[in-house]
Amino acid sequence: MNPAVPSWWGVAASVALVGVTVAVVVREQLGLTREVVLACARAIVQLVAVGALLGVLFDNAGLPGALAWVIAMVVIGGRVAGRRGAGVPGATWIATVAVAVGTATTLGLLVAAQVVDAHPRVLVPVGGMVVSSATRGASVVLLRMAEEAVSGRRQVEARLALGLTGAAAFAPHRRSALRAALVTDIDAVKTVGLISLPGAMTGLLLAGVDPLTAIRYQVVVMWMILGAVAVSTAVAARLAVSRLFDDAERLVTA
Amino acid sequence: MLALEDVTVVRDGTTVLSGVSASFQAGRCTAVAGPSGAGKSTLLRLLDRLLEPASGQVLFHGRPLPSYDVLEVRRRVGLVQQAPVVLGVTVLADLRTGRPHLSPDEALALLSRAGLEVDLDRTTADLSGGEAQRLCLARALAVGPEVLLLDEPTSALDALAAQSVERVVRSLVAEGLSAVLVSHDLRQARRLADDVVVLAHGRVVEAGPASESDYLAGAS
Repeated sequence: MNPAVPSWWGVAASVALVGVTVAVVVREQLGLTREVVLACARAIVQLVAVGALLGVLFDNAGLPGALAWVIAMVVIGGRVAGRRGAGVPGATWIATVAVAVGTATTLGLLVAAQVVDAHPRVLVPVGGMVVSSATRGASVVLLRMAEEAVSGRRQVEARLALGLTGAAAFAPHRRSALRAALVTDIDAVKTVGLISLPGAMTGLLLAGVDPLTAIRYQVVVMWMILGAVAVSTAVAARLAVSRLFDDAERLVTA
Repeated sequence: MLALEDVTVVRDGTTVLSGVSASFQAGRCTAVAGPSGAGKSTLLRLLDRLLEPASGQVLFHGRPLPSYDVLEVRRRVGLVQQAPVVLGVTVLADLRTGRPHLSPDEALALLSRAGLEVDLDRTTADLSGGEAQRLCLARALAVGPEVLLLDEPTSALDALAAQSVERVVRSLVAEGLSAVLVSHDLRQARRLADDVVVLAHGRVVEAGPASESDYLAGAS
């Protein structure tokens, strides 16, 4: 067994850290004891279930099973991001399409360029990273677009009154929402390795991979995340603008 | 030139305008007066197609508004909002919002029509309320409207700034531009308007020449 992977006894021993957390919560009288215990128990059940399911998937379902898994993640991601866009008509539909296009483009490019293998053991975890990045991007952009539609209504209507189309009238607000959605990931790229070692690289180092090999994977993961966020936010923003204005170029909100 | 025919507007289940008919003549300033909540601003938004009536129709040169391209309507019918809304970082950028290829000379001519003497590269954030509102007027004029819709254009300004905006409106109407002025200030309506439409509870209660208006006479 790889020495970097903890045994089940090790996992059980790590529960002591939950005890430390509970001790802090109790001592500081935060009233969160029940929540901490339930959250940790729930995390264990969820991870065991996912681990078991992935085992079955990798052994039996093949590529179609992996793709079905990624599609299911896209649907869930779309629902999550769509909730953030309450106020934008059809936000769930927009978010699902945005996450799907972001995922398909990024994952498709990586597979087509043979950067990653089209194998369930690769597609499922890499797909998970792509979908979660695309979801986060779509969430932020839809949240900001919904806010801009309310806070920027007077500016938007002032532009509409000058004969601008809805898309042109909302363009500065769309750009502001896109900047907000992208800036976090751009900052993450700027500080990568300086503040903390990123997840993929950490995983590879723990698995005993040479650091210079691990960074190759990390570089791909970073560009993959940026690409997924850029595509999903751009698609979500365009679709949201098309739904925020009616046929008479009037701003409508859900 | 602009007219409402039996227009009803319902918003969130409440009737805001009910069976309103009114006409706005070319080359004249028509005040839309009435107490708060009478539906004055709603009427203005109908004329720029920012709102659609539940029933009845809005006519522009005798044709229903939806029969025109909406972008054309909004270029021919300009709107100036209650509080000034600046859209560009500099005066020139703001003026170019609706007309991107506006030359500096054309921009200066527009500022002069709006009674505003500022540099084109002046930052709009530094403008006073009165200057910003006149910039909004100049920006509306930049796209060449036949009619200006003015929604309480001086209510957010001090007395001096309000006077300067009034002078500009008066000179624009004298040049031949039509204006529809929503105002809760009856004295202002009397000073500026040729005609008046008085609304109360979403209905027209008086319409005709401003000089003969009983409602405006109550302002003295």
